[in-house]
Amino acid sequence: MHNLSPEERTQIQLERLQSTLNRAYRNVPFHQNRKNRKGEAIDIERFQIESIKDLSNLPFMERKHLGEYYPYGLFAVPLRDIVRIHTASGTTLNPTVSGYTRHDLLVWQEMVSTALTASKITAHDILQINLDPGLANWGRDYKDGAESIEASVIPNTHLSIEKQLKVLKDYKTSVLITTPASASQLAGHIGSGTDLNPADLNLKTLILVGEPAGLEPRNLLEEQLHATTWLHYGLSEVPGPAIAFECENHKGLHVNEDNFIPEIVDIETGELLPEGETGELILTALTTRAFPLIRFKTGDRARFIQDTCSCGCPFKRIEWFEERTDDMLLINGVKVHQKLILLHIEDALGFVPGRYCFFKSQQGETSCLEVWITVDDTLFSDEIKALEKLMKTVEDKLHENIGVPVSIRLKEKHSFQNHC
Amino acid sequence: MLLVKNLKCYYGRIVAIKGVSMSVRKGELISLIGANGSGKSTFLQAICGLIPGLEGEITFEDVSLKGLDPPAIVQKGISMVPEGRLVFAPLTTLDNLKLGAYTIYRKKLHKYVKKDLEMVMELFPILRKRAYQQAGTLSGGEQQMLAIGRALMARPRLLVLDEPSMGLAPLLVEKILETLVMLRNKGLTILLVEQNARAALKISDRGYVLETGKIVLQGASSDLLADVEVKRAYLGKDYAEFYEGRA
Repeated sequence: MHNLSPEERTQIQLERLQSTLNRAYRNVPFHQNRKNRKGEAIDIERFQIESIKDLSNLPFMERKHLGEYYPYGLFAVPLRDIVRIHTASGTTLNPTVSGYTRHDLLVWQEMVSTALTASKITAHDILQINLDPGLANWGRDYKDGAESIEASVIPNTHLSIEKQLKVLKDYKTSVLITTPASASQLAGHIGSGTDLNPADLNLKTLILVGEPAGLEPRNLLEEQLHATTWLHYGLSEVPGPAIAFECENHKGLHVNEDNFIPEIVDIETGELLPEGETGELILTALTTRAFPLIRFKTGDRARFIQDTCSCGCPFKRIEWFEERTDDMLLINGVKVHQKLILLHIEDALGFVPGRYCFFKSQQGETSCLEVWITVDDTLFSDEIKALEKLMKTVEDKLHENIGVPVSIRLKEKHSFQNHC
Repeated sequence: MLLVKNLKCYYGRIVAIKGVSMSVRKGELISLIGANGSGKSTFLQAICGLIPGLEGEITFEDVSLKGLDPPAIVQKGISMVPEGRLVFAPLTTLDNLKLGAYTIYRKKLHKYVKKDLEMVMELFPILRKRAYQQAGTLSGGEQQMLAIGRALMARPRLLVLDEPSMGLAPLLVEKILETLVMLRNKGLTILLVEQNARAALKISDRGYVLETGKIVLQGASSDLLADVEVKRAYLGKDYAEFYEGRA
């Protein structure tokens, strides 16, 4: 839609929004039974969004809804139209399941290729994907998008850091897609653990995904890896990477408004904020067939950048901030809900520990989820081995369900006072 | 070129079009498909000023068409080929074509009529042979050609057609659709309403799927052609049966 006038683009967005809503209200009981933000039932027959602004009358979709309607309750097409099913950890014991029609996959492929092209990636590039298992879905989308612009893709495979570096060097990788945490880990390893000189690498582009990265750490990465960094924003639920992406100016991320409508709302009241103010990013999918997200609360803190970008891209830009509006932890780009961690611990132990706390920590070069659990009467055992075995079980369960490395530490009550 | 926003049309208390938005850009061939009773013809009639009391916006080349009567809309540059051809049966082919140029005569632009007649005869050579034959005696395919020719005589910038393939043999349908492609290639903008979804999508640039008065899908015609939902929307099957087994 780049060659359209602003009026024409708005019209196309309205048409896409209306047909998305018509399908969602016709096919998905969850949407049919929802009430508007004033608490009134929506008359599906007469319901009409007449402009993009009217979108703000609709209720929000939250992560908890994705778990409540597990597995297929939010699909807007029959299962036989679904060609791919993705799973992501959600906020309940039930994971988030999203489906894709063939058309949806093509849309994602196009979205990813648009973002990669904006990062100057071409068919001449060798593109390596290195993402945690929790972001495996994004790995597939990046592979498809990069292949569509005929780049040579080294798909996402779980490798040790030494192997990653070997591939990076020997395969002459020019583009690396990874999280800021993994990129720092890699840079740190080059700096200390090997005799590899970054100048020996062919790396020129580092696509950072999954979590925001400030200017300072990016500059450091660019210096350490001799590459230019580009930030991409995505959702693990839809899933998709590259919903928003940086252009050559690196001044904010362009939201792909061909496929998503972004809104920024007040975190407390949910009301739309004036342009330029910081709030929660809300996304509505315009072209998704199987799994329409309507006013989805992302939990990400952002603000619209008001002035137009000199790159010529007509999409609105956002500034994406590190703090979140919810209590999710971002570990290697994977969103981990604290409530979910507790649910899995309760499931494994059979009870809720007396005290606990969760945070992101660094183990050597790896970011991981650190869980502190208090040792009290319910947990205490005079057999250390039994206790260790139990904790290993909890660690494995968490790792399996959340997709990030987990370290559990048993602590005495007073340890919590200073840390949690 | 044509922008429709939130169009609602009523037949008494029945809402036939329930807030449809669509756009046609200059030089495009757009198809609007859907099952029987989905509101396709009502939509076209609304654009051509044949439905009173509609709500929403219809603008053509930045001018609102709301409240204009059909002759005024033809003068603005929109010509319609109605469903079932509706040729003037007792009149000759030639007179039917000249009637299509009614607004051109009104503008005192007689000099164009002869040239346009020649253009239509070249487009559909059979009409030259049938020039003095009563239109009611023409075959279905010939009548369709006449209806298109008659609409072209008004020198439209947007040609809208309502089910041009209806009741025609496959070979004739092909011929009619080929003609539309040819006209589009010459720069004419076309909005085509068809039940023959496959045929319409094959020749159009973009398409919209209308279902019970609402647009449920839109996109590039090549995408819609491959879409399984289109088949169902076109066939108008009940969706409930497809959702069995959903949690």
